[in-house]
Amino acid sequence: MTRTDPTRQSSPEQKKNTLSAEEQKKQSEFQQEAVVHLNALYNYALHLTMNPDDANDLVQETYLKAYKFFSSFERGTNCKAWLFKILKNNYINRFRKNSREPGKVDYDLIKDFYHTIKDTRRDSSETETDYFHTLLHEEVYTALQSLPEEFREVIQLCDIEGFTYEEIANMVESPIGTVRSRLYRGRKLLREQLEGYAKKFGFNTETGR
Amino acid sequence: MNCKTARVLMSAAVDGELTGKEEEGLRLHLSQCSDCRMEYEEAKKTKMIVKEKIVRFKAPQSLVDSIMDLSFTSEKEEQNTLVSE
Repeated sequence: MTRTDPTRQSSPEQKKNTLSAEEQKKQSEFQQEAVVHLNALYNYALHLTMNPDDANDLVQETYLKAYKFFSSFERGTNCKAWLFKILKNNYINRFRKNSREPGKVDYDLIKDFYHTIKDTRRDSSETETDYFHTLLHEEVYTALQSLPEEFREVIQLCDIEGFTYEEIANMVESPIGTVRSRLYRGRKLLREQLEGYAKKFGFNTETGR
Repeated sequence: MNCKTARVLMSAAVDGELTGKEEEGLRLHLSQCSDCRMEYEEAKKTKMIVKEKIVRFKAPQSLVDSIMDLSFTSEKEEQNTLVSE
């Protein structure tokens, strides 16, 4: 008959069982509510820092903080929005207040990525005659990047992440009306950029083709 | 409603963020103005383009692992601290 030696290193499973029911509940709730948004947060961090290492650190910090303060997350509200807000604050603290510049922008990485994507996706757009549909990922990305940050940010949060105006207003700490007008102005600029590409490649934008 | 006002409202309209009154006004204007109808289609398209064309990066596996581990690790640390006290 073997007896469990209490000094022996316990397996992770056993350790887990030593957690209180309350902590286990917090853990599983955190996994379900917060960890599912990891990819979205990583993309947001990449857009903010333009550097994979900085994005990595930013996401790690965000989750660490989110876990620590998970009890303050208002249940039933949008957890993704809550996490984005934490990430944005972390970003400001790291790169703005300490007047530390984000790491070098890794253009090569982004460029390589877009080149691989471009080739695999080109087939699907070949049947489209609409000039907007012939736009490539890289062009849309470059057009978006060319916008002033205050416009780019709201477009990203609205169109890519699908947040409501109220959620965005809370994230960027501006009134809803400001979010609304930034979106309007940002999109106007974005369209000019996109139409510029279309013209450059010989599409007649006047007829909508 | 004139075309200028309608065009400003279109941006929020594609996001479903107009008030009932604004929406009603815009709908009425669109029913009477073909230029603005076309413009509205373009506005919807621009939103779709951003949504569809912007490539989503996948978080590196090392990051996924460390986040998955995070809650577990910090709980363990907390637990160890309690035990040692």
